[in-house]
Amino acid sequence: MKILAVILALMILAEVVTLLVYFIKKKRTRKKRRRQTAINLLKIEYPKGEPEVKPVVIKAEQVCMDFSRAVNEYSSVKELVIRAVKGQSNKGIYRALNDISFEIRKGEVVGIVGTNGAGKSTLLKIVSGALRPTSGKMLVNKQKVQILTLGTGFDMELTGRENVYLNGAIIGYEKSFIDEHYEQIVEFAELEGFMGEKVKNYSSGMVSRLGFAIATAGDAAEILILDEVLSVGDRLFQKKSLQRVKEMIHGGSTVIMVSHSTKTIRDNCSKAIWIEKGHLIAQGEARQVCDLYEKYDGNLEKQMGAQMGEMEIECVE
Amino acid sequence: MRQNSQLKQYFFVIKELTGRELKRKYSRSKLGVIWSVLNPLLSMIVISLVFSQMFKRAIENFPVFYLCGNVIWSLFTTGTNTAMTALVDNKQMLIKVKIPMQVFVISRVYTAFVNFIYSLIAFIPILIVFRVRLNWIILFLPVVVLLELLFVTGLSMMLSVGYVFFGDLKHLYGIALTLWMYLSALFYPVNSLPGIMVTVVGNNPVYLFIDGMRWIVLEGSLQPWTSFVKMVIWSVGAYLIGSWIFRKNKNKVMQKI
Repeated sequence: MKILAVILALMILAEVVTLLVYFIKKKRTRKKRRRQTAINLLKIEYPKGEPEVKPVVIKAEQVCMDFSRAVNEYSSVKELVIRAVKGQSNKGIYRALNDISFEIRKGEVVGIVGTNGAGKSTLLKIVSGALRPTSGKMLVNKQKVQILTLGTGFDMELTGRENVYLNGAIIGYEKSFIDEHYEQIVEFAELEGFMGEKVKNYSSGMVSRLGFAIATAGDAAEILILDEVLSVGDRLFQKKSLQRVKEMIHGGSTVIMVSHSTKTIRDNCSKAIWIEKGHLIAQGEARQVCDLYEKYDGNLEKQMGAQMGEMEIECVE
Repeated sequence: MRQNSQLKQYFFVIKELTGRELKRKYSRSKLGVIWSVLNPLLSMIVISLVFSQMFKRAIENFPVFYLCGNVIWSLFTTGTNTAMTALVDNKQMLIKVKIPMQVFVISRVYTAFVNFIYSLIAFIPILIVFRVRLNWIILFLPVVVLLELLFVTGLSMMLSVGYVFFGDLKHLYGIALTLWMYLSALFYPVNSLPGIMVTVVGNNPVYLFIDGMRWIVLEGSLQPWTSFVKMVIWSVGAYLIGSWIFRKNKNKVMQKI
């Protein structure tokens, strides 16, 4: 009997020790991972000897992004409790971005293409520093990034004027800066006489014009991210906003634009990146990447098998 | 210098956000911001009509007694209630903002504070009508209010993060608030309670703030130092834990939103 008790005690002890070791290890790896995912400020390195090569301002190194999502929605509390007791998890992991690496140099205009849900917006959020990648690194100076998405961040109950100040404050303009550029913003958005009106009475085109005008006021943005912005507004405004973006590029801004229109990308970008289902499919010269993307018919594997191998080598720098 | 300009930007954002909240709040009403003054006054009249006879002996100056509780309570409840949804409501702006996300929570609390200042206006005529004499102790009122703001900000940071992951929190918190209100002795004297309840209410932070204000306004003296110490512990504790939770979950919040 005594021997049995001793053996039992030893077994329990061993169990406890293994559990402890397991937890300590787990904790350590978690710490390690956290250290890896830290967003670092990019130190701009000017390459010596070759003056025409611009410094890298955005650098993605094997960026992965996981989202946890509910696989089975529970319909009642009872179900939730049962599941919790059984230890079933209702969380699955969805990998929105998988091993994405690229470099963008100062003054480059980079287009990002991909079908809906490919991970473009997630990538932009990581570039702007709003999201931290699950693993990998995104090296970029967050303070210099200006992100512009359609009609977001406006308060419908406020007037146009109030929204200019509110939005300007949010994206980091100082009050004196907005005071100075207010007239210019209104003029560019072609909204003279409408600024006292509530934004909910604006047309969608007016809202996006105002958004564009605020985001591009002055020359504050060194890195400008345009999410489906250039394809809005009427033809005249499109031309004008394109002109504006070109001016900014001329002034040394780096631009990343997302668009479903390959024409926009082809016309404006020097470089393009194609993302599909979280994978980087191709990057390289805008025209080549767009050609490739236009051939895409939804069946990636077929295309991959047929011609992707050679194309990818050709496209990736 | 850079630090300084960042701080300036911080205040500018809070000011703009608060301005928006105030404009929104009253954008559809005719009387607008006057409601901030009228609200506590009207509820004071109603509650006084109902309860002042009941507690005639225990409470000397019931309307002022109630009004003290009401303004402190509504600062707490509107602050936490509106700040809880701050992150979810502003999700579009979260991506763009360059300064810490706390501004959204803080600006909602600050909005409640501006409201509180307006409701203090209601105090002046009431004090005159009921012949309450203030003395220099009133200078300590800002200390009580400041501690409450700290407490509200801390709690709001916890709630706002919780609300991102668990939308039902809003309803649960509403129920919790009802219970909390009855435990805050808004319209009854604490010594009318049975023994254990006195301890519970006496350690309730919101009651401590209310009591602090009542001592200052009605008695013209400071509350016992023990309750002052409790007040400080609650406020600083809530703020530290709140900002710790907020910082820890920042990335998760962004993913979820």
